[in-house]
Amino acid sequence: MTIRHEERPVLTPHNLDETELLGLFRRMALLREFEERTAEQYARGRIWGFCHLYTGQEAVAVGAVSALTREDYVVTAYRDHGQAIAKGIDPKRVMAELFGKRTGTSLGRGGSMHLFDREVNFMGGYAIVGGHLPIATGLALAVQYREEDRIVATFFGDGAVAEGAFHESLNLAQLWQLPVVFVLENNLYGMGTAVERASATRDFHPRAEAYGIPGEAVDGMDVLAVREAVTRARDRALDGKGPSFLEMKTYRFRPHSMSDPGRYRTRGEVDIWRQRDPLRTFPERLIEEEVATREQIDVILGEVEEEVRECIAFAEESPHPEPADLMRFVWAADEPEGEDGP
Amino acid sequence: MIPSASHPVPSGTAGSPSGPDGSPDSQVPLRVLSPDGGLEGEAPDLSPTEREALYRQMSRLRAFDNRMINLQRQGRIGFYGPATGQEATTVGSAFALEAGDWIFPALREAGALLVRGYPLRKMVAQLYGNRADDALGHQMPCHYTARELRFVSMSSCIANQLPQAVGAAWAARIRGDRTVVLGYIGDGGTSEGDFHAAMNFAGVFRTPCVILCQNNRWAISVPVEKQTAVREIARKAAAYGIPGLQVDGNDVLAVVAATRAAADRARCGGGPTFIEALTYRAGPHTTSDDPTRYRASEEAGRWPDPIPRYRAFLEASGAWDEERERGLQAELEGEIDAAIEEVEAEPAPDPASLIEGVFATPPALLRDQLEEVLRPRR
Repeated sequence: MTIRHEERPVLTPHNLDETELLGLFRRMALLREFEERTAEQYARGRIWGFCHLYTGQEAVAVGAVSALTREDYVVTAYRDHGQAIAKGIDPKRVMAELFGKRTGTSLGRGGSMHLFDREVNFMGGYAIVGGHLPIATGLALAVQYREEDRIVATFFGDGAVAEGAFHESLNLAQLWQLPVVFVLENNLYGMGTAVERASATRDFHPRAEAYGIPGEAVDGMDVLAVREAVTRARDRALDGKGPSFLEMKTYRFRPHSMSDPGRYRTRGEVDIWRQRDPLRTFPERLIEEEVATREQIDVILGEVEEEVRECIAFAEESPHPEPADLMRFVWAADEPEGEDGP
Repeated sequence: MIPSASHPVPSGTAGSPSGPDGSPDSQVPLRVLSPDGGLEGEAPDLSPTEREALYRQMSRLRAFDNRMINLQRQGRIGFYGPATGQEATTVGSAFALEAGDWIFPALREAGALLVRGYPLRKMVAQLYGNRADDALGHQMPCHYTARELRFVSMSSCIANQLPQAVGAAWAARIRGDRTVVLGYIGDGGTSEGDFHAAMNFAGVFRTPCVILCQNNRWAISVPVEKQTAVREIARKAAAYGIPGLQVDGNDVLAVVAATRAAADRARCGGGPTFIEALTYRAGPHTTSDDPTRYRASEEAGRWPDPIPRYRAFLEASGAWDEERERGLQAELEGEIDAAIEEVEAEPAPDPASLIEGVFATPPALLRDQLEEVLRPRR
């Protein structure tokens, strides 16, 4: 799989000032650090169960969410740490959730795949492949019905494209002109299944045409390209022009999950993609174009290291869920009270 | 267009996957006969007997539909779903297959079953669900099944037959035999997840199948415009890397040509083809439906009847005339009368057969229930 290297535009046309550009870098660096430390904590046995790391795909979550407002909804799959933190959930609460602690986003009951925070309109990570797409489409129907000034962005992987729920969602979204942006994170593997073994078409974005939806391929390793594409798609949705389909060409550097030995791809392939690591290329570009200095970049890297250390300390010190609460928070009759609720 | 050495698709009138500007918007449906039955394109290679057989089967289905609707209105059968208006699509597509090929119908493909040689008497028996019915009344009426003719049970579940059709085709490919599978679906079915999964699977594994969508414009009461935002359902095939084409589904010769080319392609290892047959459901969805509540009578009054269209073609070539028509109608009346008479004389199924044919060994719970049913009432 090769990606065409377009002539890169200079940074300034993106109408972002130095602070905003460094902000994008900071968020990507935070996600990277968060995931690397998560892997360590997992190895130490502090985190267990299913855990899917976002390493490599940071430019997608950070770029896409930077094009959204707090009011916009985000619905995503199980590889959800990146979108959750990018959407504004306190990373401490995300780490606490991974630790299964009471201070986690889902009170320690959801774990890695089920982060959720209504406050920032992060409507969840979902474990069933493609199962969240009808939820996102339904949210968009609610937004349209209530005539609200916001959109839904939903993230999913290349494996989800083969699911019936994907098909049904895209058909209805275009039929009803719903304000939803479908963001496909094509990282080339559905677990261990390479895209060419799961789809007879090499690219997925032309599939959008089958529903009458405009589809577009985007360099998912370029945070500014992602941001720009999602901005356009969001504007379309707000103008009442219906859904968009964006295929982010990206790559996960780590295995599918913590229990995947990753024997289906070569070391060399990973190394090739690592050369396009947004955590490497984006700061290089900032320095090259004199937006930032190497020192500023290093300061940010130091800050996020410290921030993630605090996240781990917070998660470690937080209490476990109360056994007495075991039966709570499932049925409406026992809604969580006060600020404890998810 | 489907490339095929033995059965070239007629050129000039053939739909091409992309128009002069390269956009898929300008697709023209494949057509052999003009709306009034004039020969417009190249007719598929058919003997005079085969040409007549196409006409006879379409007429037979029409006559059968009319009589069965009457029987339902008289309360003699419970339920019926006519295929009026869609005769050319089902008869033509099944006609293009070989006897060893499998058919996975949706729920309006009685025409395909007639082509396979299923006796009318068995169809009537299925509708009565009495002792003459192979399934002893276990299946919903108008949901025929004929394993011996490689015709899988019809199902009211929408689109579920397509993953099965593609799976059967995959089996044929693994076995390396020359079987082709024809799977039917309606326009409504294309919105189902099963359609998506089946199409993707067919594309990835290049299974030897033909997926034929009978776009009759109505999914019960939902018009195709409210079903999908795409104007041509055939365009959906491109999303799966499968060639898709539109055919005039009211032109039986065009349906034969398109299906034959697609089946040949599949048989030669060329993979699946998706055919969208543009047709029209002239009648109600079923006898439980009243289409005047949701579609204008003017629309239904203008439906393009495939039977007179093809008859005009046969008459122009001297193969048909009024006298033969009268003879055929009398013959069909006689055949249907005899079938009804024979079946109506049969008793209801034995209540003891109620739990047969589902489990190899019926579970205790069912056996207990049956015992209770059979216990003499006090």
